Amino acid sequence: MVYVVGIDIGSAFSKAVVMAENKIIAYQVLPSGGNYKITAEQITEKTLAKAKLSLKDIAYTVAVGYGAASVSFSSETASDISCLARGVHYLFPDARTAIDIGGQFTRVFKLDGRGKATAFLLSEKCAAGSGRFLQVIARVLQIDLEDIGELSLKSKNRVDFNTGCAVFAESEAVSRVAEGAAKEDILAGLHRTLAAKIQTMVARIGLEPDCAVVGGGAKDIGLVKSIEQGLGYRLLVPEEPQIVAALGAALLAEEKVSKGG
Amino acid sequence: MSQYFTGVDIGSTMTKVVIMNQTTLASVIGPTGPEHRKLANRVMEEALAKAKLTFEDITYVVATGYGRINVPFADKQITEISCHARGVAHLLPEVRTVIDIGGQDSKGIKLKEGRAVDFVMNDKCAAGTGRFLEVTAEELGVSLEDMGRLSLEAKNKVEISSICTVFAAQEVVAKLSEGVALPDIIAGLHEAIAIRVYGMVRRLKIEREVALTGGGAKNIGLVKALEAKLGFPVLVPPEPLLTGAIGAALMGRDIVQEAVKKGETLVRSERRLTEASIFT
Repeated sequence: MVYVVGIDIGSAFSKAVVMAENKIIAYQVLPSGGNYKITAEQITEKTLAKAKLSLKDIAYTVAVGYGAASVSFSSETASDISCLARGVHYLFPDARTAIDIGGQFTRVFKLDGRGKATAFLLSEKCAAGSGRFLQVIARVLQIDLEDIGELSLKSKNRVDFNTGCAVFAESEAVSRVAEGAAKEDILAGLHRTLAAKIQTMVARIGLEPDCAVVGGGAKDIGLVKSIEQGLGYRLLVPEEPQIVAALGAALLAEEKVSKGG
Repeated sequence: MSQYFTGVDIGSTMTKVVIMNQTTLASVIGPTGPEHRKLANRVMEEALAKAKLTFEDITYVVATGYGRINVPFADKQITEISCHARGVAHLLPEVRTVIDIGGQDSKGIKLKEGRAVDFVMNDKCAAGTGRFLEVTAEELGVSLEDMGRLSLEAKNKVEISSICTVFAAQEVVAKLSEGVALPDIIAGLHEAIAIRVYGMVRRLKIEREVALTGGGAKNIGLVKALEAKLGFPVLVPPEPLLTGAIGAALMGRDIVQEAVKKGETLVRSERRLTEASIFT
């Protein structure tokens, strides 16, 4: 069997996927930390260990993401958008629009029936337009990032933010907590603010069904529901939304190997 | 009988009160803060005590600033743009453009014959406001007051690539861990604010002289960074935080003089100092 690796070093999280014959063999997600080079080595080692493989068994490695250049052992680097489109297409062949909610940016793109991105929009590098917003508010509310989604669904009385800036929203959240607002209601407000920014991007590019949502932000069920409500449309969410770009990178690696004979 | 005019400027970060007759008799600058928002009356009491006056002695009170609605004892509320313009025109008559860098906003005002004729404002994004410096200073472990002085020691200013405050804060931590000297980072932060503010104010077609007001004007590093962008020196009033409050007091004087001239009766609030019950 020919094994390949796709590795995505994001600003917040790193992901690696091992594939063989168009199937996922193993994957891993780790915080990126401060040293991307070490993170890249660690995550590859862990993923390969899961697959009971070592680096010499790997035919081809494609690196992607913010820290792609730090992956010293990669065969090549690829663009985020091409990997995301490949990954989305693999998971949802009928998807024609996709939203990627990452740690620094939100991307909205269109893709064709072969998994090629045909148009895309990138948010400004603004914390309030990316998954970073969730981290900022989670810290204020002293809750784990993973718990935000479920907790927010309990909201009965959404507290809307008066601002679209993560820094100002942080102070607003502090004030609302002091005034006795429930955490779930603040989270619901947070989701609405972020969802509104994302909806605007989707509207600009034009929603063509099916539409998938991927990236770390897609793990937040409250955020996904808020976007769905805003768009009036049901979104496709992968089981592991965070690994889509790494998956796309692995698919690209497979293509390279098969073309190379 | 002597007439006294009071301006109360409730900013996002600081509350400013001045009492004037011909000159400024007393001024107080206190924090706004979440718990202070409704306590404009306390700052007012302090200013009255300083001026050795009672509230009954005050002819007219004008409130301004983003929290002006929180001043229940004011006779009138006037926007900060108008009051700022009035204050700067009084203190520095040669000024045609005002750049104000506040705690949570920044603005540019064009002046003509002592009045605001145009303005631009950013209160939507922390970048380009005092808040940007506050957040990054905390990340660097430097007090806000020391930022200006420290930045003057920069030898090799770094470029801060993030516009967003949240990402810039992350960026400065990374720079520190790379071993970049603190003054070089701080100078980079001032440069980032200057670029942002200059980019906004430029839309007004900047005319000399230019005055710099607000808390940002107290930061020598930021003043120098803005001057470098403008290509000429700016004027800074002796107390750059007070221009709005001074303008508010002067607007009050204008209103009273106008009413006297027209023989109209002046509508005034009850002279009773209370906490705000409605506040935003």
